[in-house]
Amino acid sequence: MLLKRLIYYFARCLRSIASMKSLPVFLSPPLSDQPLAFTLRPSLQGAERNAPLQAMLVLLILLALLVPDRGMGEDKYSLNGTIKSAENGEILIGAYVIVKELKGVGSSSNAYGFYSLTIPEGRYTLLVQYLGYRILADTVLVNRSQTINFELTPEAIKVGEVVVSGERSDANVTSTQMSESKLEMREVRSIPVLLGERDILKTIQLLPGVKSAGEGNTGFYARGGGVDQNLILLDEAPVYNPSHALGYLSVFNADAVKDVKLITGGIPAEYGGRLSSVLDIRTNDGNMKEFGASGGVGLIATRLTLQGPIVADEGSYLVSARRTYADMFLKLSSDTLINRTSLYFYDLNAKANYKLGEKDRIFLSGYFGRDNFNYPDVIGFNWGNAAATARWNHIFGEQFFANTTLTFSDYTYANTVGAATNQYEITSGIKDFNLKADFQYFIGSHNSVKFGMNAIYHTFFPGAVTAGPTSFTNTIALENKQALENALYASHEFEIIPDIAINYGLRLSSFSLLGPAHLYTYDSYGDIESAAAYPSGKFITTYTSLEPRFAATALLNESSSIKASYNRTAQYLHLLSNSTTTNPSDLWVPSTNNIKPQYADQVALGYFRNFEDNAFEASLEVYYKSMQNLIDYRNGADLQLNPNVESLLLFGKGWSYGAEFLLRKKVGPLTGWIGYTLSQTREQFDEINQGQVFPARQDRTHDVSVVVVYDLNSTWNLSAVWVYNTGNAVTFPAGNYWIDRRLVPYYTERNAYRMPAYHRLDLSATWKLGEKSSLNFSVYNAYNRMNAYAIYFRQMKSDPTKTEAVQITLFPFIPSVTYNFAF
Amino acid sequence: MRTRNTQTMKTFLWQPPGGVVGLSIVLTALLCSCEQVIGVDLNQAAPQVVIEGIVTDQPGPYSVTLTKSGNYFEQSLYFPPVTNALVVLSDDIGDRDTLKEGIPGTYQSSSVLRGMPGRTYALKVETGGKGYDAFSTMPQKVAIDSLFAVPRRGSSSEPGYDIYLLFKDPPELGNYYRVNVHVSDPLVAMDSIDGRRYRLYSDKLTNGNEALYRVRARRTVVPGDTITVDLLSLDKATYEYYRTLNDILTSDRSPTSLSPANPNTNLSSGSLGYFTAYAIDTKKIVLR
Repeated sequence: MLLKRLIYYFARCLRSIASMKSLPVFLSPPLSDQPLAFTLRPSLQGAERNAPLQAMLVLLILLALLVPDRGMGEDKYSLNGTIKSAENGEILIGAYVIVKELKGVGSSSNAYGFYSLTIPEGRYTLLVQYLGYRILADTVLVNRSQTINFELTPEAIKVGEVVVSGERSDANVTSTQMSESKLEMREVRSIPVLLGERDILKTIQLLPGVKSAGEGNTGFYARGGGVDQNLILLDEAPVYNPSHALGYLSVFNADAVKDVKLITGGIPAEYGGRLSSVLDIRTNDGNMKEFGASGGVGLIATRLTLQGPIVADEGSYLVSARRTYADMFLKLSSDTLINRTSLYFYDLNAKANYKLGEKDRIFLSGYFGRDNFNYPDVIGFNWGNAAATARWNHIFGEQFFANTTLTFSDYTYANTVGAATNQYEITSGIKDFNLKADFQYFIGSHNSVKFGMNAIYHTFFPGAVTAGPTSFTNTIALENKQALENALYASHEFEIIPDIAINYGLRLSSFSLLGPAHLYTYDSYGDIESAAAYPSGKFITTYTSLEPRFAATALLNESSSIKASYNRTAQYLHLLSNSTTTNPSDLWVPSTNNIKPQYADQVALGYFRNFEDNAFEASLEVYYKSMQNLIDYRNGADLQLNPNVESLLLFGKGWSYGAEFLLRKKVGPLTGWIGYTLSQTREQFDEINQGQVFPARQDRTHDVSVVVVYDLNSTWNLSAVWVYNTGNAVTFPAGNYWIDRRLVPYYTERNAYRMPAYHRLDLSATWKLGEKSSLNFSVYNAYNRMNAYAIYFRQMKSDPTKTEAVQITLFPFIPSVTYNFAF
Repeated sequence: MRTRNTQTMKTFLWQPPGGVVGLSIVLTALLCSCEQVIGVDLNQAAPQVVIEGIVTDQPGPYSVTLTKSGNYFEQSLYFPPVTNALVVLSDDIGDRDTLKEGIPGTYQSSSVLRGMPGRTYALKVETGGKGYDAFSTMPQKVAIDSLFAVPRRGSSSEPGYDIYLLFKDPPELGNYYRVNVHVSDPLVAMDSIDGRRYRLYSDKLTNGNEALYRVRARRTVVPGDTITVDLLSLDKATYEYYRTLNDILTSDRSPTSLSPANPNTNLSSGSLGYFTAYAIDTKKIVLR
């Protein structure tokens, strides 16, 4: 039924896009006050309601077509194709095709390896390049539009070899995208991490503008935003809880990951739904050429990846799995309670793709991960994400790329309490059906349009208790909620005049809470004021937001540029948590009559400069971001199984501003970066801190990270990471008193104190045992800095009338070893 | 025989939800954690009036205690009393009693007022040019059906007894309880068996049911000791006060837990403390 609705919806959108050519639509009245929640009811006059969007898209395409392309008048032809690795047939994302003879003419491959170029007739040398691969030079005679696919060969770095390249990528300077970081998987593999389990989410925390939610934690704050304000996409499927083991490890198995991109500012129109950042993770598609297996054995987990062609160069598959085994040691215990205890997690990634001719390709992928903790007869937890994605790439003509994605994703949490005669289980979760269509139209050189739609049907399971037959606990189920989140977007990137390029776009998003539902209103004390019931299918509350996105780049010379951006983002889903980082029991709730969408506006300005023939990249960015309708809680809010959870919420505003400096070296035996962030994040809630502005917990004035990866010789790779940051803002007591024969701390100001500054050095050495396997030795916290994980107060043993402050350190010097293999 | 009995009891255990904190502690314990004493400079807040007023269904006098808060690092067992305050207790049937100050800072009622379930009581305090008031409605008394003690067994548990109490929750949702456990031994302070923690229960998940609750005796008690268990029927505001107070006292100190704040009080003017009217049911058991 739901699928039918989605297909219907999708068909409507496609039809509306197809009908854009009709000019009368364009002339129809602008922005009506009707909600965007339009397409689920067949009886509606959809065409009229779609008018503003159609107008927007038509306008963009007209503009795009009207923008003069340099060299207009000559006959022009399109070249397109796919860029892949010759080694394993993996698609290369963000590879460059440059026309040597035409200055500044080139194209980069999209997330599916597709590129398209439009150039005049002639004979040209095409230079195709991708970091870590040899530059490919190909001479082509262009006298008709054609498809040319490229395969690049990996570059084996040898010590002492100086790679000379006059054509090295300068995309960080020339592209309109700012505030973007890409992680090189080679670096991710070398960078030391806690317990040797390499982790993307911990590695991105080393980038400027990104801060860790806590020591050893995978949660992160982007430019002052909360951990729930990051849109984390795994092969286009949103991941609701990206962590295992209570946040100490991420759900992304680094073996399966191909490309990681983080955007914290100037967020393009194709992304939406979260305020602060986009983390776009793409996994490997699987070896197209031959079967391969790889894996690793570490202190806490074992990984195994199998991949190979379905039909050589036509299709491939990949299966990657990981499981921890700390609990295996518990089995050795003679205590029957301990040896029956389980404590583990696992991940399973499975993918397959197949080419249906030159123009079509389909991808199927799935992710399944679970954490399990069970202490027999007392308490048990089981939580995790599941996602299934089907994608279809289609190329219309030479310049028009389309990708359609259908995703199912789900996050569930279950907590079993008690045993046998009084056992009950508490469950909660969220489930999504997500349909997305993205189109990319390569009009000419430096002139392209992206547009698309997205419809998500959310089902929220806020909590239920299932009691065993003999239990004296009642079976209770809070009402599920349903919502429809829609978006249409379009953006246009082009060079206005030589050396000045802009990307402007608009995202129109809407969010509707759907019946059946019971809604309440609350007074200022959080008590119920009124109640109303809504029937099934009723659009109860609808929020519509216009989110403008803008970015511009002005090239100052060959190697430097100035960039500026503005974006507005809206977030309709909110994370309620009794913790400041991700937790298994996290509750995602929709925007309702009581919870307004969160909004953020951000402006950023940056100077980008490359040195030494693009070997070094440097940037300085400043930003200012303001956020509305942020959520905090009434004191002592009890979020679990509470039908009136919305009455416990407080709404306020926040703002963050700062400067980020990055110097990065991406090529050669020595790579790495130095990042420094100077920033401030403040929040204001009428009901908190007497309404006074207070520093957000993640407000850390200084944040430094230094990352060095060095290929010493063909057998040894060394790396080091050093981080320093100002301590978190924290609340300490300002007095105490006796009540009910208990000594109680008295709190006055929120976050008025600071934890001590945090710093740490990690080292890692990888010893290659031949071509296929390696041993990695790493040390976390090499100089054994006693960082403060938490500070608490206790009565002094020598004088119980006095109180002392005690600091807890979580991770001292921790060595680890991991064995990695491939065959 | 006895062991089997213990097992059955264990399976009857009711625990409040939200064991994630427990899981977090397990994981943290697996990793090394080291502690060291450090110096922290704290601001000192101006002393605040702290009010504690309790009316029960037992015969009076009922007392209201007024003190002032102190410096965090200079704790003492003695906090300055607030003397010469005007303290008035009244109920919803028109009784009104101006409390008399006995020992400094402690104000006691006369026989004018009697604590009765179902009645609403009001407290009014005036001191230092400021007024404070609060209301509390005494819930109907819920009685303990039975009480028994089982010696603790098992290699991983400390010796002692597990005390169980059985009572039936009334059919309407919204009942709140606190359980206090005392030991008869006069050398043991009244609440030392309890520690700082509160034993609080709500009928959110067990409404209308007869349920068995385990109150673990922390201190080693010996055969011959008499254990007294009080079941307090609280109103919602008192439960919320104790619950949020308990949160502060038992915070897991994790940096990811939410910012601490003062307990949710029913007193006006944002003062510290609370005023409550509760009904008590008491049962005793002699350990064998």
